[in-house]
Amino acid sequence: MLFELITALSAALVILLMAGILFELFRNSRLSIARFGLSFLASAAWNPVTGEFGALSSVFGTVASTLIAMILAVPLSLIIALFLVELAPPAISRPVGYAIELLAAIPSIIYGMWGLFIFAPFMSRHIQPALQSTLGSLPLFQGPPMGIGMLTAGLILALMILPYISAVMRDVFQMVPSVVKESAYGMGATTWEVTRKVTIRYGIQGLIGASFLGLGRAIGETMAVTFVIGNNHEISPSLFAAGNSIASTLANEFAEASEPLYLSSLIELGLVLFLITLLIQVAAQLWLKRVEKTVGKL
Amino acid sequence: MIHRSEKARRASDGLVKIMSNLAALIGIVFLVWIIYVVLGRGIRAFNIDFFTRLPAPPGIEGGGVASAILGTLEIVILAAFMGIPAGILGGVYLAEFGKGNRFGASVRFATNVMMGIPSIIVGLFVYGLLVVTTGHFSGYAGATALAIIMLPIVARTTEDMLNLVPNELRESGLALGSPRWRMTLAIVFRAASSGLITGVLLAVARVSGETAPLLFTALNSPYWPTSLNQPTANLTVTIFNYAMSPYRDWQQTAWGASLLIMAAVLALNFTARMAFREARK
Amino acid sequence: MPFEQTTNPDRQLAPAHAGKQEADVHLEIPPRIQVRNLNFWYGKHQALFDNNLDILPNRVTAIIGPSGCGKSTHIRVYNRIYKLYRDQHAEGEVLLDGQSIMGEVDFIELRRKIGMIFQRPTPFPMSVFENVAYGLRLHYRLSKSELADRVEKALDRAALWDEVKDKLNDPATALSGGQQQRLCIARAIAVEPEVLLMDEPTSAIDPLATAKIEELIESLKLSYTIVIVTHNLQQAARISDYTAFFYEGYIIEYGATKQIFTNPAKKQTENYITGRFG
Repeated sequence: MLFELITALSAALVILLMAGILFELFRNSRLSIARFGLSFLASAAWNPVTGEFGALSSVFGTVASTLIAMILAVPLSLIIALFLVELAPPAISRPVGYAIELLAAIPSIIYGMWGLFIFAPFMSRHIQPALQSTLGSLPLFQGPPMGIGMLTAGLILALMILPYISAVMRDVFQMVPSVVKESAYGMGATTWEVTRKVTIRYGIQGLIGASFLGLGRAIGETMAVTFVIGNNHEISPSLFAAGNSIASTLANEFAEASEPLYLSSLIELGLVLFLITLLIQVAAQLWLKRVEKTVGKL
Repeated sequence: MIHRSEKARRASDGLVKIMSNLAALIGIVFLVWIIYVVLGRGIRAFNIDFFTRLPAPPGIEGGGVASAILGTLEIVILAAFMGIPAGILGGVYLAEFGKGNRFGASVRFATNVMMGIPSIIVGLFVYGLLVVTTGHFSGYAGATALAIIMLPIVARTTEDMLNLVPNELRESGLALGSPRWRMTLAIVFRAASSGLITGVLLAVARVSGETAPLLFTALNSPYWPTSLNQPTANLTVTIFNYAMSPYRDWQQTAWGASLLIMAAVLALNFTARMAFREARK
Repeated sequence: MPFEQTTNPDRQLAPAHAGKQEADVHLEIPPRIQVRNLNFWYGKHQALFDNNLDILPNRVTAIIGPSGCGKSTHIRVYNRIYKLYRDQHAEGEVLLDGQSIMGEVDFIELRRKIGMIFQRPTPFPMSVFENVAYGLRLHYRLSKSELADRVEKALDRAALWDEVKDKLNDPATALSGGQQQRLCIARAIAVEPEVLLMDEPTSAIDPLATAKIEELIESLKLSYTIVIVTHNLQQAARISDYTAFFYEGYIIEYGATKQIFTNPAKKQTENYITGRFG
């Protein structure tokens, strides 16, 4: 019937867009794909003057900043979700939960502004020197404490994905049937023991799904990272060093890319990012399907 | 039988309790810190000129972001007109017709992918689609990019809200002899209305704060947005340009614009959730 | 199928002759609905097997049986409401006033003629007035005053007018459960159907309101043919003229209610009536 057709066409739009994006990205990066081939992914070069481009430094930066963010955000989200569901009385959990949601609503450019003008100097004046004086022998903490750089970018990313991960984890915790928890409490277990042995185990797959969500967001985050990562194409082992991510490179350099090969290389970077995101989505979907089969729809 | 030390168990339990209070505190501390800073610095930029004048070159007094405010409004409203109806119809398909068939499953998968796409990639896509082909940047391209971002979000929330409506209500409408479309619009939509509106408001809030998709589509402009068929002034790219500049007064303006955007987004969010809660009662 | 299944369709159709009563007079009146060899599937799972039944006009026919035996499934074929779900399908014949309702039919007209009341009251998210007017607007072109008139008549017939006449513009969801169900009845009869299908209409309603609705059903049968699915045996005995007993998708026995409840022909019917299983 006509109604069904119209709605189906609108629904099809999503598929068309997804395919369209893939197609467009490939089309517009033909030049650099033809020029560099697969070595594009392995090359750390990035020289607009000589026309040598490689994705490695951007991919490295994307992965490194995301890794830092995940290492911090996942455990933190877990404890926050625990706090909200198990420990806090409703008078506290409701406003705190809402505050966490607000963190998610703040546009990423605001995080960028705050990051660049407030947090980076804070890092440079207080945190980084402290880290250097204690752990300065590690290559991770070498170099001048400029504030902007990989560590700061990772920290801000962690803050940004925290609300997303904890929101889903909170839902997972709430879905654990009370009877299961109560029987554990009834045996004299402490709150943490119940959480560790019952709640987490029960919802482990949903918790992993929540982490996937955060991962996807961190990888594609643009504005906040662009402001504080420093736009440097060198790969350095130090967390204090400036770097770049795929998204930040695009944001910083697209306007200046007048030369066709430069432009094409940037778009190819975008293609790489899209494919990574797509892969993570597919993995997350498959994972969630597995979860659905055992625990039911989240 | 060796008993596990009760002291140790209590200690680790207590430790975790302390840590989780700390974690929640950390979240709140950062939220307050960010809002406080944006509020404090942004307010300093607020004056009549800020809201009514066009941007001035750095160092010159009396510049404002009036054009950018207008431009953002125009772009977001246009994006809403493009993305919301399509999103709602798509959501209707998923909830009413798209269960248990392959097409519906593919649409759901694509929706998930699209919701996870970095917004800068959407900007890149529309750049190739509209900017390169027409030869110039435009507010239309910017609105298109935002609409593409809105579409899957609105479709998803619509589907979720419609799924909450019990089937018996649908059957009651059909049992009276109602055609499918009429039943869906008159009864199902009404039943889910508060949720649908919330979803729409949240999607609008989300895209009005976006910068990356506008970077290569609407670009920015120091002039009034009289036509969308050219680079169009907007708040978010203005913030980006001004913040990255070395000029103090431009940075100040960037803070003011940041406060505007943050206030608008948070207000929209708040309204959406309040409306939802009210209707729930 | 462990119980005696007669292959003679007539034994399943006509009210049993043992215990002749006024029911027999109605053998001369053509049935409002005739079901012949009806089979029904949910996907691959068959839920109804060779159902044969006659629904007589201006009488209340009760459909009883244990949970999951196909009672609701059966009556949902009459107005083809099952078509909403892709994986459900029916085969066989169902005639309304001699005309087939399977195959290509005008659903809109069919569903005007056959109204349906559900187990839980389903008021639309609108005012009381709008609820009743919804069906009227679908099928008729009426002036404002004509509309108001018909709405009042329907609410009156459903024994609800006095209780809601001052609340016509209030949301229907503000009414009590029993009132909401009577509203649904008013909504259904506003479009002047011939048949009313009621799927366990009082199972979610308190006893006082239930009594009111049962009274209403008694008065409604003068104008409509009523089929009521119920798992409340006392209710079936109280208000119905004919009763059909379903078990696992088969119609085991059908006849005058008095006879079914006092002198059932099949052992299985007797077991169910006396509560040996349920």
